[in-house]
Amino acid sequence: MNKIAEKTGASAWQVAKAVMFAFMGIRKKSDLEHDAATLKPAQVIIGGIIGAIIFVLSIMLVVRLVVS
Amino acid sequence: MAAVHGDAHGHDEHHPSGIMRWVTTTNHKDIGTMYLWFSFTMFLVGGFLAMGIRAELYQPGIQILEPELFNQFTTLHGLIMVFGAIMPAFVGFANWQVPMMIGAPDMAFARMNNWSFWLLPVAGTLLISSFFVPGGAAAGGWTFYPPLSTQGGLGVDLMIFSVHILGASSIMGSINIITTILNMRAPGMTLMKMPMFVWTWLITAYLLVLVMPVLAGVVTMLLTDRHFGTSFFNAAGGGDPVMFQHIFWFFGHPEVYIMILPAFGIVSEIIPTFARKPLFGYSSMVYATASIAILSCVVWAHHMFTAGMPTVGQLFFMYATMLIAVPTGVKVFNWTATMWRGSMTFETPMLFAIGFIFLFVIGGFSGVICAIVPIDIQVQDTYYVIAHFHYVLVSGALFSLFAGVYYWLPKWTGNMYSETLGKWHFWLSMFFFNLTFFVQHFLGLAGMPRRIPDYNLQFADFNMISSIGAFGFGLTQLLFLYIVISCIRSGEKSPEKPWEGATTLEWTHLPCPAPYHSFEKPPIVK
Repeated sequence: MNKIAEKTGASAWQVAKAVMFAFMGIRKKSDLEHDAATLKPAQVIIGGIIGAIIFVLSIMLVVRLVVS
Repeated sequence: MAAVHGDAHGHDEHHPSGIMRWVTTTNHKDIGTMYLWFSFTMFLVGGFLAMGIRAELYQPGIQILEPELFNQFTTLHGLIMVFGAIMPAFVGFANWQVPMMIGAPDMAFARMNNWSFWLLPVAGTLLISSFFVPGGAAAGGWTFYPPLSTQGGLGVDLMIFSVHILGASSIMGSINIITTILNMRAPGMTLMKMPMFVWTWLITAYLLVLVMPVLAGVVTMLLTDRHFGTSFFNAAGGGDPVMFQHIFWFFGHPEVYIMILPAFGIVSEIIPTFARKPLFGYSSMVYATASIAILSCVVWAHHMFTAGMPTVGQLFFMYATMLIAVPTGVKVFNWTATMWRGSMTFETPMLFAIGFIFLFVIGGFSGVICAIVPIDIQVQDTYYVIAHFHYVLVSGALFSLFAGVYYWLPKWTGNMYSETLGKWHFWLSMFFFNLTFFVQHFLGLAGMPRRIPDYNLQFADFNMISSIGAFGFGLTQLLFLYIVISCIRSGEKSPEKPWEGATTLEWTHLPCPAPYHSFEKPPIVK
């Protein structure tokens, strides 16, 4: 993540935030414009894949908690 | 305007005439037209099979179709509607609209585009001709689960080859769409300025490239199980039939979204036009579409809750499936918010778009109900599931296709359709669709199984109602054919911009009908 961040100046946290909002399907317009100006497509794609893995792992965690 | 379309003076519409124009064409508009006519033809074939199914189910007992033939009808109805009607129809829309909406002169790979289309009639012929081979067509359901599909006759082989060819066509079409969108946008059209229809197709095309090879793989494994002694899905040889279901649905569930995301795109173009307001939450719509696409890849086993799965697996797929309701809900909210306090008019495309939202929400909710494991175990393989996915695919995908056809017909043909007949088409479709499928919820909850030609007496009344609705719905679609043909042949001349609220490039920069070659010089998007 940090390596990507160095390339464009967009921080890992900013990528994470953009992906998190994308998973919910909402985003404030000013934040979006800021994202569009700073994020690179590769960052979003890698962030999305990591986000999907975290999503799957967190559901698995919830399931483990429910059945334990 | 003359600067952006080359044939304002009619000097470059040269192409072969007669049949060769269509065989050799590399023009995205010609290919789009062929996709649309092909898919409508397959829609009529699939519809004919549906009429056969409903005629048999009109009364209890076996009247018209022997059980074997009934099973072939249900199987081929599903395959033809999914792979022959809905999917090619959306590719037809993409061919016509994507280049015009992004200011490109054509698709990126024009010759491959021609080949993508011409594979389809071959695949369609294989599928339909399988009825006439010894043993008849495939009869194990559109999901062709083994062992039924490993035991079937020559018809299953024809189906497998047909699926291979359709898959190749879809993959080529998707590569074309992705390349066109990423490389050929007009100057100034950034990704976040693209029309929603283009966005939904971009994401759909990625989904197609991701999952069609999976389908190709699983049917090839089926083929080698049938003919070359492998045992991928044969327990006697150490294989596992449930593995087929996992691989199939890893393709099958994203496939559902492949059929609905472009529908979202069409509706997202029409609602703002007729509400005369920009789309509410455009960026949210883009994000929600991407989110739905990613989530669609991690929910497949909700189709298999009764196939045998640990509780942990059932809970995982139940939770993941229910979470898809969040981005989908965002979309429905945005469409509603777009209409809120808009200057709405209710021309036929808008009626179908609103009908889409209304009925798709019903289908979405019944989907959430089916996602709940204990309920799904009750309704699995009943008419409740049939009702659910027809609300998604008919009043979802098909209604959006109708909406899109009425919306863009003036652009495609230069003529207006009959608004009166269009409204009749909408209201009759709406009435008969609900008559057909709403009662199937009751049948399913009462326990009527799917893919069975006969049923117990307690199901008789609702089945009769459903069949009457289906015949009405089928006949109504002939009215649609009449409306389109009379629009092309004798429709009133369309004004230059029939929809005052339309803001996309094909309406603002091109005349009606769109010239054969458009945007040879790209427009500048500000």
